[in-house]
Amino acid sequence: MSSDPTCDKLREIGAELALGVLPGRERAEAVAHLDRCADCREHVRQLTLVGDRLIGLLPDGEPPPGFENRVARSLARQAAPATGRGRSRAPGRAHRDPRDRDRAPGRAHQGLRDRARRARLRLAAVATAAVVAVGFAGWAIGTAVEEVTAAPPPAVETEPVLVGDMVPAGGGGAVGEVYAHPGSPAWMFVSVALTGPGTAIPYTGTVTCLLERGDGTTVRVGDFPVRDGHGRWGAGVDADLTRFSGARLTSSDGTVLATARLKQAQVLTPEE
Amino acid sequence: MIFRGERSGGRAIPWRPSDVYRGVSGSRFPVGRLPDEALLSGLATGDPELAVIFVRRFQHRVIGVAMAVTRDPQLAEDVAQQTFERAWRHAQIYDPRRGSVMTWLTTIAHNLAVDAVRARRTEPMAPEDLEELLGVVTETPERWALADEASAQLRAALARLPREQARALMMAGVYGMTARQVADAERIPVGTAKTRIRAAMAKMRAVVASPKRGDHVQ
Repeated sequence: MSSDPTCDKLREIGAELALGVLPGRERAEAVAHLDRCADCREHVRQLTLVGDRLIGLLPDGEPPPGFENRVARSLARQAAPATGRGRSRAPGRAHRDPRDRDRAPGRAHQGLRDRARRARLRLAAVATAAVVAVGFAGWAIGTAVEEVTAAPPPAVETEPVLVGDMVPAGGGGAVGEVYAHPGSPAWMFVSVALTGPGTAIPYTGTVTCLLERGDGTTVRVGDFPVRDGHGRWGAGVDADLTRFSGARLTSSDGTVLATARLKQAQVLTPEE
Repeated sequence: MIFRGERSGGRAIPWRPSDVYRGVSGSRFPVGRLPDEALLSGLATGDPELAVIFVRRFQHRVIGVAMAVTRDPQLAEDVAQQTFERAWRHAQIYDPRRGSVMTWLTTIAHNLAVDAVRARRTEPMAPEDLEELLGVVTETPERWALADEASAQLRAALARLPREQARALMMAGVYGMTARQVADAERIPVGTAKTRIRAAMAKMRAVVASPKRGDHVQ
C-alpha cells in the first residue's frame, strides 16, 4: 500500500467498509478511492472475506415445517407470469441482456410452456377443476413441487445423464465440465476455465455453445459470456439430448475454443 | 452410484436414494448431488424440482443466519424466503470467482436480515443475545474441528480476542451495527468503537490469510 494519505484513511475505515457498516458519505469516498487503488481493493477484499467467514460461523437453523414447500411455491408463482407472457427470444440469449437478467432465460420459459401443455393433458384425465381458479401455469409448477416433496424416493432407480470434460481445442487437460440432463425439461450446464496449458490467451467475449451429433452436424444451444477464460452457463434445451455425442464452444468468430465428448453416465441407486 | 462410463475408469460417485426425484412427466432427475453451481444454473431455468432441491440443500444455513440476526422466527422465515427468491431472480449474475454459492446465499440472507431489523427496531440486538451468540460461534467442539479445520481455527481466534473486541466485531459483522451504534451500546467513544472493530478484523484477517498460523495471532 502506498503512502497516499487516502490509503492511510482507508486503512482506518476498511474494516467497517468490508462489514458494510460505514455511513453513506464515508462509504462513497472509500469506494471512489478503491476505484483507483488496486492495493486498497485487495486489502478490502481480504477484509470482506473475513466478514463472510464470520457469517459462516453462525449456527444452522431448523426450518419451520413446510418451509421448502412454501418457498418453492413462491418461486413457482413468480415463474408463472413469465410463462404466461410467452416472450420470444433467440435461444440462449435472453438472460444475457442485463435488463432481463433477473428473469429466467427465454428457453426456460418455453420449457415451462411445454411442461404446462403436458400437464394439461394429465389434468384432463383426472378432471381436476382447480386449474381454472388458480391459473394454469402456476398450478402446473406447484403440482410438480408437491410431487417432488411428497414422493418417496425409489428403492432402485436408474437415470441417464450426459457428462463430459471440456478440453481445449489445442489439446490438453480438462478445462471445464458439461452436465446434460435429458429429462423433461432437458437442460444443460457448462463450466469452463480456459486458462491452462493448451489454451491461447484467456478469452474474453461471447461464447457459443453447440451440441454435436454423431454425424458431425451441430445445433446451437445458446451464447454466454466468458471473461478472462472463465464462464459458466445453464439453460433449458428443447431437444432430445440423448441424440448428441459432444459439445463444442466457439468464439464469436467461429474459432473452436473447447470440445467435450458426452458420455452417458448411469445413476444407479443401490437397494437398501 | 453414478458411473461416468469408460472415462471414469470405474470411478463411482456415491448417490443416495433420496437424490433421485420424480418430475412432472414421470421421469426422474438425479440432481441431488449436482455441484452447487450447476444446481443454481438449473434453478435459473425455472425447473420446479430444482427449486425444491435447491431450497432443501441450503435452507438450514439460510434460516440459521436469518435467525441469528433477527432473533425472531417469523421475521427469520420471511428473510429466508426473500433470500431464495432473490437467489432465483439473480442466479444468472452469480459469479463463482467471488465466492461459493453458499457464501453468496448467506451474504444475501445476512444483508436482508440486517435491513429487516433496521426497519423494525431501534435496537439492533439485545445484550443477552450478543453474549449467547458469541458463546455459540466461539464454541469449538471436536466434531466441528474435524469437519472444518479452518472454521475451527477461526472460532478459536475469535475466542482469543479481547472480549470487548469480539463484542464489537459481532455487533458490526453480524448485527450490522455502525461504529456509532456500537459506541452507544457499549457506552464508549466512537473512536474507541472503530479501533476495536479494526483491531479485531486485523487479527481475524491474519487467521484467514494464514490459517495454519492462527494460533500465533496476538
